Amino acid sequence: MYELFIAPLTETYFQKALIGGSIVAIVAGVVGCLVVLRRMAFLGDALSHAMIAGVAGGYLVMKMLFDLEAHAPGMLLGSLIAAITTVALISFVARISRVKEDTAIGIMYTGIFALGVVAVSIFRHYIHIDLMHFIMGDILGVADTDLWVSAFVAAGVLTVLILFFRHFQIATFDPVMAASIGLPVLFIDYVLTTCVSLVVVSAVSMVGVILVVGLLITPAATAYLLSDRLDRMMALAALFGVTSVIGGLYLCVWLDSAGGGAIMLFCTLQFLVVLTVAPKYGLLARWLRLRNLIPQQIIEDILTTVLRYDKPTPLSVIRQYVESPKGLKKPLQRMIEDGLLQETAGGYGLTPAGDKEANKVLKAHRLWEAYLETIGTPKEELHPTAHQLEHISDTNTVKYLGEKLGKPQNDQRDQEKQ
Amino acid sequence: MTTKSTSVIKVEHLTVSYHAKPALLDVTIDIDSDQLIGVIGPNGAGKSTFIKAILGFIKPDIGTVLINGKSAQKAKGEVAYVPQRGAVDWDFPITVQEVALMGRYQQIPWYTSPKRKDRQAALEALEMVRMEDFVDRQIGELSGGQQQRVFMARALAQGSDILLLDEPFAGVDAATERAILEVLERAKQSGKTLVVVHHDLSTAAEYFDKLILIKQRLYAYGTPRMVLREDLLSKVYEGRLRIFSDLIKEESQ
Ligand SMILES: Nc1ncnc2c1ncn2[C@@H]1O[C@H](COP(=O)(O)OP(=O)(O)O)[C@@H](O)[C@H]1O
Ligand SMILES: [Mg+2]
Repeated sequence: MYELFIAPLTETYFQKALIGGSIVAIVAGVVGCLVVLRRMAFLGDALSHAMIAGVAGGYLVMKMLFDLEAHAPGMLLGSLIAAITTVALISFVARISRVKEDTAIGIMYTGIFALGVVAVSIFRHYIHIDLMHFIMGDILGVADTDLWVSAFVAAGVLTVLILFFRHFQIATFDPVMAASIGLPVLFIDYVLTTCVSLVVVSAVSMVGVILVVGLLITPAATAYLLSDRLDRMMALAALFGVTSVIGGLYLCVWLDSAGGGAIMLFCTLQFLVVLTVAPKYGLLARWLRLRNLIPQQIIEDILTTVLRYDKPTPLSVIRQYVESPKGLKKPLQRMIEDGLLQETAGGYGLTPAGDKEANKVLKAHRLWEAYLETIGTPKEELHPTAHQLEHISDTNTVKYLGEKLGKPQNDQRDQEKQ
Repeated sequence: MTTKSTSVIKVEHLTVSYHAKPALLDVTIDIDSDQLIGVIGPNGAGKSTFIKAILGFIKPDIGTVLINGKSAQKAKGEVAYVPQRGAVDWDFPITVQEVALMGRYQQIPWYTSPKRKDRQAALEALEMVRMEDFVDRQIGELSGGQQQRVFMARALAQGSDILLLDEPFAGVDAATERAILEVLERAKQSGKTLVVVHHDLSTAAEYFDKLILIKQRLYAYGTPRMVLREDLLSKVYEGRLRIFSDLIKEESQ
């Protein structure tokens, strides 16, 4: 036990990875909620790829001008500039040409990523960037500067998001209304994009270009399955981000695997578990709901059968008139719970509510029968067809049929149209 | 300002286009206060675009929109709006109460959170549309008519004198349509001006004081009797006129 859980905690590299990873995961989760709700996931991916050009550019500039090797703030600034340039190019292309936004994103980020790769390889004697490191990340080798950078970024971004929570909420949910009450919608979009860029840039050194988008959206999507309010979704997403980092890091130590990969693997498994068991939006809940769903048709058929029988109806009679492939026990049980039926000595009887429902269906049945007759349906098909159609009994239909026919009185009797 | 027939929305030569394709062309219209106005026209006629331009969400290529004499970009919050059903993300993690509270966002300074009186105002607006029992529901769990009413509560909570509604009657049953119409009538009586996009020509004459008929251009603006004319409708609705010819006869009786 000690070996498994406590021993890694005593290692400095593990502590740093845990702290750095958690900081990044918290802010990524919170921003990720907006990314998910605005369907910007692809943009997050694009930003992470575009960064490499910025990293190379920042490295080169600092080296040439100040002779500083691998200057972290310089590379960070470069990444940010690259990310924002990418976004600007994307919206420019999408706006003025007929090329749609997703295509514009695809073109621009691969282009800028390629520019970065070419630059790194051309200047390989000046720039000592390990492309593999950039692509895969290295959470177990987090440097102190990386930690500081991500702490500052997280603090800044979280402050903005919390302070302007309502602005982001309304600009995401209903941009037209946001504009109409005077919020600068476009500016809010830019601020959000900048926040996403910052988070992506600070997360890439840990989990790498390819996985960073996962850290951004998977915890947020997991939280989305569990919450009906944006603030709770954000809190949960932050929590899921942190659990992913903790779980992933242990996984990585135990299995001796790549850190970033282990984190994202854990994060994805976590999503799948929640997807299965979430109480409202989970697969299991959905399956149970569908299984417990009793077709309205069966309920209505039971109601009219009992109404026509006009006294407590034994099960055998109901079984005779109502077709229910899965048996009648559950429907009857449910109808008693819903207060439509009551069980008495002689069988099942209608409650007042059930009586009202039953009369409504019966009325629809008669209307349909009368209607079918006026359009010339053969006599022997009248009842069965009306029996099918009676379940279409919403107010509009009934009103319409009633207007067409006047007021019908009895089953099976001729209706004279006036 | 309160006297009858002062102009509250003044639209001049409004032209809006998406990607060089005009959605509205040279629309000039003057809407007076205290009226219930219907906007009709076929799908894609630019009705929603017209609403968005009045809200100041879309910048016109040419032309101006004046709200109470101020340009739409400046007259922030003087116009409230109820979006078209299809324009809302019904899976958004937001509850009925939060939507109504949005109507108060303009009054809340950015550095504070919503206060008790804001929540109170939101709740009152929900009571006005009889949705107070659903405050904690996620908006996707409501029926079409209930969803419409929640957004109406939001518009009412804004306290604006001008309300724009984009197809509030789409996808609701007859009873709900009545209920919504009642809320609109009450709002009108309390001195609000309502501009309502409407898709059902058969009820247009009954519901509205005046109608606006648009299809890219403005075809007619006036009382239902003036607008629901066969020649105009045939021009705007082209092939589908036969459905309406009965209706026009009914109208003229
Ligand atoms: N965001 C948009 N981008 C491009 N074209 C649009 C956009 N919104 C609307 N349009 C186009 O503008 C025209 C008018 O649209 P709209 O105002 O929504 O019509 P309506 O509400 O009357 O159905 C349509 O042809 C539509 O395709
Ligand atoms: Mg529309």
